[in-house]
Amino acid sequence: MPSRSVGRSVVRKEGRGKVTGAARYIDDLTFPGLIHARTIRSTIPAGEIVDVAFGFDTSGFTLVDYRDIPGRNIVALIDDDQPCLAERLVRHVAEPILLLAHADREALLAADVRIRYREAVPTYDATTSPIAFKTIAIDKGRIDQGFREADVIVEGEYRTGHQEQLYIEPNGVIAVPEHGGVTVYGSMQCPYYVHRALKVLLDLPDDKVRVVQTETGGGFGGKEEYPSMIAGHAALVAIKAQRPVKLVYDRVEDMLATTKRHPAVIRHRTGVKRDGTLTAIDIDAVIDGGAYATLSAVVLSRGVIHATGPYRCDHIRIRGRATMTNTPPNGAFRGFGAPQTQFAAEVHMDRIAEALGIDPVRIREINALRPGDRTATGQRLGRDCSALAVLRETVKRTDFKRKWRAYARLKASRCLKASRYKEGGSRGIGLSLFFHGAGFTGGGEVKLASKASLALTDRGARILVASTEIGQGTRTMHAQIVADTLGVPYDCVDVNAADTGQVPDSGPTVASRTCMVVGRILQRCAEDMRERLGRLTPREYLKRHGPLVITREYERPTDMAWDDNSYRGDAYGTYGWACDVAEIEVDRETWEVKPIAFTTVHEIGKAIHPVLALGQIEGGSAQGLGYALLEEVVMRDGRMANAQLTNYIIPTTLDTPPIDVVILENPYKHGPFGAKGVGEMPIDGPAPAAINALRNAGFDLREIPATPERVMVSEKQEPRHALHA
Amino acid sequence: MHPFSYEKVTNEHEALERARLGKATFVAGGTTLVDLMKLNVEVPTALVDINGLPLNQIEDRSDGSIRIGALVRNGDLAHDSRIQSRYRVLSQAILAGASAQLRNMATTGGNLMQRTRCYYFRDPVYPCNKRQPGAGCAAMDGYNRIHAILGASDTCIATHPSDMAVALVALDASVHIRAANGERVVPIMEFHLLPGDTPDRETVIRPGELITYVTLPSGPFGPRSAYVKLRDRASYEFALASAAVALQLEGTTVRSARVALGGVATKPWRALEAEQVLTGAAANKATFLNAADAALTGAVPRRHNAYKIELAKRAVVRALADALTH
Repeated sequence: MPSRSVGRSVVRKEGRGKVTGAARYIDDLTFPGLIHARTIRSTIPAGEIVDVAFGFDTSGFTLVDYRDIPGRNIVALIDDDQPCLAERLVRHVAEPILLLAHADREALLAADVRIRYREAVPTYDATTSPIAFKTIAIDKGRIDQGFREADVIVEGEYRTGHQEQLYIEPNGVIAVPEHGGVTVYGSMQCPYYVHRALKVLLDLPDDKVRVVQTETGGGFGGKEEYPSMIAGHAALVAIKAQRPVKLVYDRVEDMLATTKRHPAVIRHRTGVKRDGTLTAIDIDAVIDGGAYATLSAVVLSRGVIHATGPYRCDHIRIRGRATMTNTPPNGAFRGFGAPQTQFAAEVHMDRIAEALGIDPVRIREINALRPGDRTATGQRLGRDCSALAVLRETVKRTDFKRKWRAYARLKASRCLKASRYKEGGSRGIGLSLFFHGAGFTGGGEVKLASKASLALTDRGARILVASTEIGQGTRTMHAQIVADTLGVPYDCVDVNAADTGQVPDSGPTVASRTCMVVGRILQRCAEDMRERLGRLTPREYLKRHGPLVITREYERPTDMAWDDNSYRGDAYGTYGWACDVAEIEVDRETWEVKPIAFTTVHEIGKAIHPVLALGQIEGGSAQGLGYALLEEVVMRDGRMANAQLTNYIIPTTLDTPPIDVVILENPYKHGPFGAKGVGEMPIDGPAPAAINALRNAGFDLREIPATPERVMVSEKQEPRHALHA
Repeated sequence: MHPFSYEKVTNEHEALERARLGKATFVAGGTTLVDLMKLNVEVPTALVDINGLPLNQIEDRSDGSIRIGALVRNGDLAHDSRIQSRYRVLSQAILAGASAQLRNMATTGGNLMQRTRCYYFRDPVYPCNKRQPGAGCAAMDGYNRIHAILGASDTCIATHPSDMAVALVALDASVHIRAANGERVVPIMEFHLLPGDTPDRETVIRPGELITYVTLPSGPFGPRSAYVKLRDRASYEFALASAAVALQLEGTTVRSARVALGGVATKPWRALEAEQVLTGAAANKATFLNAADAALTGAVPRRHNAYKIELAKRAVVRALADALTH
């Protein structure tokens, strides 16, 4: 019996290639006869195209517009509202209109295309936009009764901005025309999303489109839906030119044109008893979808389902709206709606505690979801509900209560001394409790019907899944699950490239589903394979019986049910639970905010690979601190005005405090070895923890990022949010 | 990026010769130039690489001044023991800029030629009078939280990004410029130009001229100088407001003082008003507050940058307090 690999930090499958530089990313690849493509984009936020003029000799160029599209001019996803190339109407700046290609990059860049427009009046305010892509209502109990039972009602409005994914490698693809169809190689999360989008765009059957993921330098959701667009563009040019085409964005184009996190405005009205028990939660959430629907409907869905935070309450009303504005479409980004809504919920929770005069830990202890409790959608939580466990562990580990009281006392004594410049540092400590559903929302996994295959090899097995390695450790973690289930050493399990010509559709690599959902399907493949092998070694089996490939499909746990119309039922297979504590120092003379300590306790079922899990949690926490304190997308007339790394800033090592990560394991009965998802959850908590810490230090913010000018203004505000019922 | 020719030169004569041809630009560390070429903001047709010139020494002069070669790397300058002990503010200012990797490449001369981080200057889609005279200014009515409150004109409100140059202004440095027809020496205060009607002209350097040295006079300040930089993140980030100060004391009285501001003005900003307040006054917090107010009296805020007035004052007070106690 080989030693188990699950729970051990084995060498990652693609680690050697990445560290030695042998790994080849899309821009490292070339093909004979390859030409380069460039996208001509709208320079206005709304209007109509009047005419297009070419200020250069077009001979030697391949020119593509919407008339060259053999199939439907859409980026097939959910609503099919987004054209691959604009025809007449333009709905946002940087909307693709034309494609140019040439063998010589200099000639391509020098080509001057002039487009005249008839401009229309753009819409920028998501809260007043008349067009909604999606509205969702969640109702539990009777909200009126909940407010009648309340002693105190607390209201608040919270705002979050755009956030750029900022993967290291920008979006890029190569399209190769072959066999009467097209093969697309590229940096992506979801090869089968691209496959489907290309079939619809090019009017080609399944077997004429092949999509191959190349080594991918990060995604964070930013390569969930956008690769379908860029792959469509490259494929159109390749088919017209009948030559391989490379289309790789530089950083500026990537930031200007591709999706970002949805900005949100979230209002809370909460009824609470004097003893701290929540009686009514009323939430109104608006997210800015940008110009086309993309994934806004499902981002909203995850957002509203997580909007209460991990708390129990009998009377809940949530109204969510994703609206249209004339800005580049927003889309998937780690957390997918939950960071916005849980920011609001957790900052609001501290205000509720303050209104009642109880501490932030007590209010959460009273209301945290426990096993057997029902969520806003009525989902009954199993024994793996760990909200109280993560809260208590974090509080104990950080000495939270003592510090919180001490800093609050200092704040109060300082307020008595009025001087022009308040000297010295102020410290604050803040807490956030949060949860994150793993896998697709509601009936999503059933609709996806993901498949995974395992092929027997001489020495073990080969994994065939469409799940992509984008830096998070997919190949390694899947191989560990298969190795231990099959009873072979980790090194004897290979992982096939995510190539739609070779692997089944395992669904997209998103939604913290790759371990819990796809990993479980693979585990079932391995269980079946082990049974088929009996006492034979793989080599003996192959010799005696010939090749063996086992394919299994997602099976919904029998105890799960969801109704998409009423938004009732089991929204997710299960949830991960986490608690963050941020300790910050504010220089009271200069308003510099410095996080000095960060502790996070994550309950994730089972850490298949502890170092990779830790990496996800540290990385997500740092990204969350950037969201809280630094990252600001400046929109000017519908266009990102700071689309450069010199002006859109993310945390450096110096801005990131030491991160103390604790992993708790409370196994999920339907996860492989008990594992839940971990990829997204870490980004839900840092922003509210940091803002709550600022509040503890005397700075009252309701909006992120907490830039110096916002911190400066926040010091003067007196809290005024409690209305007595 | 547009195509360009590249040539390495080994002496000043050759450098000046090459620079006369076409749209040539000198390149040393390349830390600003290459970025701007990638963005199509700078489009030179020829790069003349001057890294081979013998301008990388820091030399003590007989009059007590220090002469810094234009090719001395920022990192080397900041860590030089003479600079650290006699011109502390300069060492601090350099170390507050960019990252260690960039400081190891960036040069003294190049830093003086550094260009603004204005969003609209760096993105050719927007009109910018600095990039294209007469095109208009997108920052004026745009998002201008990072823009200037001092020294702006109707054509430009972009800030000068340098930290080093702010310290040089406080230290009253001189810039040596070599042209085909000889050398001239320009006081640092006159080296950078206010935008006025010609924001595209940022310095007194004329096409084909080469910065060769920067000299620091032997000042009376000793170690009593300091640089304070306030910014959005802890490293690799430009100042929202910064202050370079130096104090000469006589007992508890300020005998002379220097105050310069960064991050808030269209050029490295010498705050003579603040120096007047300080001179002859008691070296204490009250004086420093008055000096800070004086430094910002002429400030004109735009829509999103009014906070910089208060922020800059606090940088001045903090820097003076630091210089005093050092």
